[in-house]
Amino acid sequence: MKRRLLVVIVAALVFPAQAFAHATLERTSPTFRERLPMSPRTITLRFDQYVKVLPGSVQLFSATHRLAVSRIWTDGLYLKAAVPKLPRGPYTVRWHAMSGDGHVVSGVFTFGVRAAAPAATDAFGSSGPTRTEDFVRWLYFLALALLVGGLGFRLLVLRGPLSPRAEKRFFVLAGIGVIATIDAGIVAFILRAEDALQLPFVRLLYGDLSPIAQSRFGTAFIAMTLGFALVAALLFLAWLTDRAVLLWPAFLIGLGFASGLSLSGHSAADPGSSWKSELADWAHLSAACLWIGGLVQLTLVVWPLMPEVRRAAFLSFSRLATVCVAVLLAAGVYLSILRLPELRDLWTTGYGQVLLVKIGLVGLAFAWGGLHKLVAVPAVERGDGGGMLVRLRGSLLGESMVGMAVLLAAAVLVNSKPPTQPAPAAPAASSVQR
Amino acid sequence: MQPPAEHVHWLFATGFLLLGLILIAEVAVGPEVWRRRAWRAYLWPAIAFGLGVLLWPVMVFYTNSTLHMIAHGAWAQVLMLGGAIELTLVRGKLQSKWWRLGMTSVFLVSGAAFLVHEQNSWFFQRSAFLHHLMGWTLLVSSIFPLARTIRPRSQVAATGFALMFVAVAVMLYCDRDVAPVFGHISPLAGAPHR
Repeated sequence: MKRRLLVVIVAALVFPAQAFAHATLERTSPTFRERLPMSPRTITLRFDQYVKVLPGSVQLFSATHRLAVSRIWTDGLYLKAAVPKLPRGPYTVRWHAMSGDGHVVSGVFTFGVRAAAPAATDAFGSSGPTRTEDFVRWLYFLALALLVGGLGFRLLVLRGPLSPRAEKRFFVLAGIGVIATIDAGIVAFILRAEDALQLPFVRLLYGDLSPIAQSRFGTAFIAMTLGFALVAALLFLAWLTDRAVLLWPAFLIGLGFASGLSLSGHSAADPGSSWKSELADWAHLSAACLWIGGLVQLTLVVWPLMPEVRRAAFLSFSRLATVCVAVLLAAGVYLSILRLPELRDLWTTGYGQVLLVKIGLVGLAFAWGGLHKLVAVPAVERGDGGGMLVRLRGSLLGESMVGMAVLLAAAVLVNSKPPTQPAPAAPAASSVQR
Repeated sequence: MQPPAEHVHWLFATGFLLLGLILIAEVAVGPEVWRRRAWRAYLWPAIAFGLGVLLWPVMVFYTNSTLHMIAHGAWAQVLMLGGAIELTLVRGKLQSKWWRLGMTSVFLVSGAAFLVHEQNSWFFQRSAFLHHLMGWTLLVSSIFPLARTIRPRSQVAATGFALMFVAVAVMLYCDRDVAPVFGHISPLAGAPHR
């Protein structure tokens, strides 16, 4: 028995194959998001292994309903479906096939006939972001604030050497921030893919995510995951080698890759968006992260562990927070006007209502911060704020809590659809010519 | 424009082989001699940490299935974490020997990820067989980093720990092989296509 087992093991190592565990889609015709000049006769999917046809292996959808597919067959590594003559418009293909290992592999892609195709995340049947996605987005924002805001605080406010305990706590908080940023990003990507693929969990495990990875959202996910992995490495090396200078590239890379959210969200994809809206969105997010992350560092690192620098840190952070609030306000107002051209959109649309809640929370946070600026800062500057400094911790904690609530509203807002912009009036001459 | 999966496996196999050989060298000459040059102590943990960082591109660029993505994400994180802990121990920023359990958890999580992400039976095909083999090898051999934690001077634990990386490297080299003489174990897996 032992010898037989040994023979099997050796044989398995000597006679290898390079096949993947289950069939992988290698290419399709039409390709992902291809704009075709005319209707295709067939839809073709090429796999790296033989696959078997299942009932409804290839499903075709127009922008409004499912279309009949007359015949589905396999030809070697190809899965093919004959399609009727398709009029102009966007189309979604949902496919399922049984892999050689008996597992059902699935996927989705889109194409257009004389029309632009939507991203896979907007394919027919996708229902859009869910409450779970709102929650994960919120966690993402919190993690980003902990990381970018923490690094900004350490580099711009607490520039000198810290006590060992304070240094350790700073790195623990920033470390939690970077790990949570990466993991929340992965969960957000999988949730988006789940919605695009419209699959139950078990079949989602074998779902082909490559069309989602090729969408704007997917590209941002790839870039941000790689960027934050690099930030994690730099953060660790800064701690290991006691070289605070390494925090600068970590901060700048973190800040730079946070723009992935701005380059893949409403500010980049919706009508009326431009480089200005992308820049404003990024500035808005960065300022919020610096403000809220700085408050957390002030509350959890400086106050309990470095009482001797409370005064200096508080005054220095107050100056940074003033700049952050100004940027936050300017960019926020610009983006609100861009997305809600009519004032009544604020109370008549879902997006506007969420924005109203966010504005209310931002107003509360600003009022709280303003109180610190107008009452606490002068007292601390005069040097008679000894009792004030002790009481300030609770107040700073409260302000950071309100900031986190603002981020929750922002997460819901990012996942909501802004009202459609009114179409620009066509020039009279062109309409006559047509 | 992605490189074939086997090339990526070979790249990581080379990394693990290097790591294993460095650990064998340390066992052969003894830690006292090995650490006469301070940088040598950092060598293998730094390679482990670097391999963890390099696994992130694999995770994000090979998105042919959700399971595949999650498994590579898990390997990237635990390898970075394990390497980071060992580097910190060498540096002296962490003192407790129990931090070495971090490497035990790397073996356990990595082994579990291999087994969970491979849904086929052992003899379905070569890659399935190797995934099971690697999964169980890592799970069973987590005894070596555990023993290394409890008995840091144990030669058996150190040797087993080093050889484990060599074994994983050999299995990774075998995992994706395109030589024409090789074939599938199960005809269900289809014909070789490359």
